Amino acid sequence: MAGGVRVQEVRCRGCANCIKSCPTEAMRVLTGCVHIIPDLCIDCGECIRKCKEKAIILNEDEWELLRSQEKVVLIADPCFYVQIGSYGSPFLMKEALHATQMEDILDCEALAFDVAAYAIARHIEAEKSERLPFISTYCPAVIRLIQINFPELISRLIPIESPLESSVVLWREVTGRKDDLTLISPCPAKTTLVRNPVGRELSSIAYTVSVRRVVHDILAGSPKISGEGTHKMNDRWLKWSITGGESRHISSFSRRPLRTVAVSGMRNTIDLLAELELGRLGGVDYVECRACDLGCIGGVGTHESRFLSRLRIDAMKVDWSVTDDEKENIEKWYKKGIWKLDQTIQPKQRLPLSNDLGEAMAKLKEMNAIYADLPHIDCGSCGRPSCRAMAEDIVRGKGEMTDCIFKLRERIHDLSKEISQLSGKVPHAFGS
Amino acid sequence: MSEPYVEEYTVAGRDFSAIGEASIQFKATMKMLGIPSDITRRASIVAYESEMNLVLHAGGGTIRLIVYTDKLEVWAIDRGPGIADIELAMQEGYSTATDEIRELGFGAGMGLPNIKRHSDDMHLDSEVGKGTVLSATIFFKKE
Repeated sequence: MAGGVRVQEVRCRGCANCIKSCPTEAMRVLTGCVHIIPDLCIDCGECIRKCKEKAIILNEDEWELLRSQEKVVLIADPCFYVQIGSYGSPFLMKEALHATQMEDILDCEALAFDVAAYAIARHIEAEKSERLPFISTYCPAVIRLIQINFPELISRLIPIESPLESSVVLWREVTGRKDDLTLISPCPAKTTLVRNPVGRELSSIAYTVSVRRVVHDILAGSPKISGEGTHKMNDRWLKWSITGGESRHISSFSRRPLRTVAVSGMRNTIDLLAELELGRLGGVDYVECRACDLGCIGGVGTHESRFLSRLRIDAMKVDWSVTDDEKENIEKWYKKGIWKLDQTIQPKQRLPLSNDLGEAMAKLKEMNAIYADLPHIDCGSCGRPSCRAMAEDIVRGKGEMTDCIFKLRERIHDLSKEISQLSGKVPHAFGS
Repeated sequence: MSEPYVEEYTVAGRDFSAIGEASIQFKATMKMLGIPSDITRRASIVAYESEMNLVLHAGGGTIRLIVYTDKLEVWAIDRGPGIADIELAMQEGYSTATDEIRELGFGAGMGLPNIKRHSDDMHLDSEVGKGTVLSATIFFKKE
């Protein structure tokens, strides 16, 4: 299944700089080109950031092709609306899209995010305190990281559908329209949300294109806008694109004060999940992790500096108090259940060394022996992220000892000694 | 019956920042062996609590994971002060931890009860002044 990350083989020089950035060790350099192990890739985009050759890119749909259609209906990630300084509010962005023959579903999104935050608050309230904290399911890379590296935390993932998905369901019900929608995505993880969703059979969104691509398209036309269509609307949902925004939104619907922890960036996310796994986060109600620094505004597919985006979102005056009318509407959609996640999220067990435990034990001993013989400096020259990964590949039959340049040098050294010894031997015929 | 798989980890005494390292390593091992995630989770908790005991009370020791085809064992072996009253030590909330340790957020007296709760069988041998040997067993299939 195609993920959110793509390798352009002609551009890859096989430098192996990317393989160590991968949190699940899903990358190998073989015969001069990097390969991604699809079962282990979480689409976090760390490798895209690392690649100097731009050989690893976001796997988006063909924008020119989508644009050539009569009408493009877009569902934009919240971070999209702060990407252009001169169109500094969602409505100005909406108008800019309109002026370039595009259309978004802004109002439905704002409502769907409200419904999701409301549903999460209800879930937290209903859960026994010893089963808390719940973990946010908004960042698809974090879901996949948990499936692969932290399967013990699966039951803590909150069973709430991404509001990006439920926005579309809501929009279809409100408008009765059946157009195919395109997600404006800030990252490979949300690209995969469309292509290969977790927790549902098929995405309600048809295509996906990067934030950067659409922003460049708008900037190329630089449409003049009047700001006429602007009406009062809640901006709460836009905060989901920065660290802590989701938690803040949920808190506004909670009847009791919530203890939430919000982190962003891969290192913080992994550290936090490891602490949670060891049971160190007692008394916390909700954990919000985002794979990208500062939140979705730090996605590899965005256009604007994440620091400026952050500045703009912080400067927004957001009204956290929900009016009675809003509340009635939110509860109406809550009762319709648009926030429900269809399927239970399952762990993705790493492939064991063997399906037979006895055999796996024997192989693990063999792997430890191989590892003991390697230099333990994790140089990456063999194309694997670490000596341990190399030892694992060897016992799985996907590599050999001489892939290690240090072991290769030893072999050459031994061989040259043998050759030199052989060259000193005198044939019998010449006798001494 | 194949030979059991054994992995050992030396835990230094009073090195609070290192608590959790052995259980993380054991977890990686168990994943590699394809041990189901609920067993892995329980064994990780047992290993983590044992590690904590070695660091907080015993001045360090050895923690060992032994995997058989039908069960696994976690052993914690130390030459620390020993436990004077095992029955008392097994009670929830009872702890001999110093104030300094409690200030760090440890020493709630839940370690041993937690190990017992997450294992199918547990043995504790201790002699004051000599040391303590703890072994906890988790079966892969419950009878």
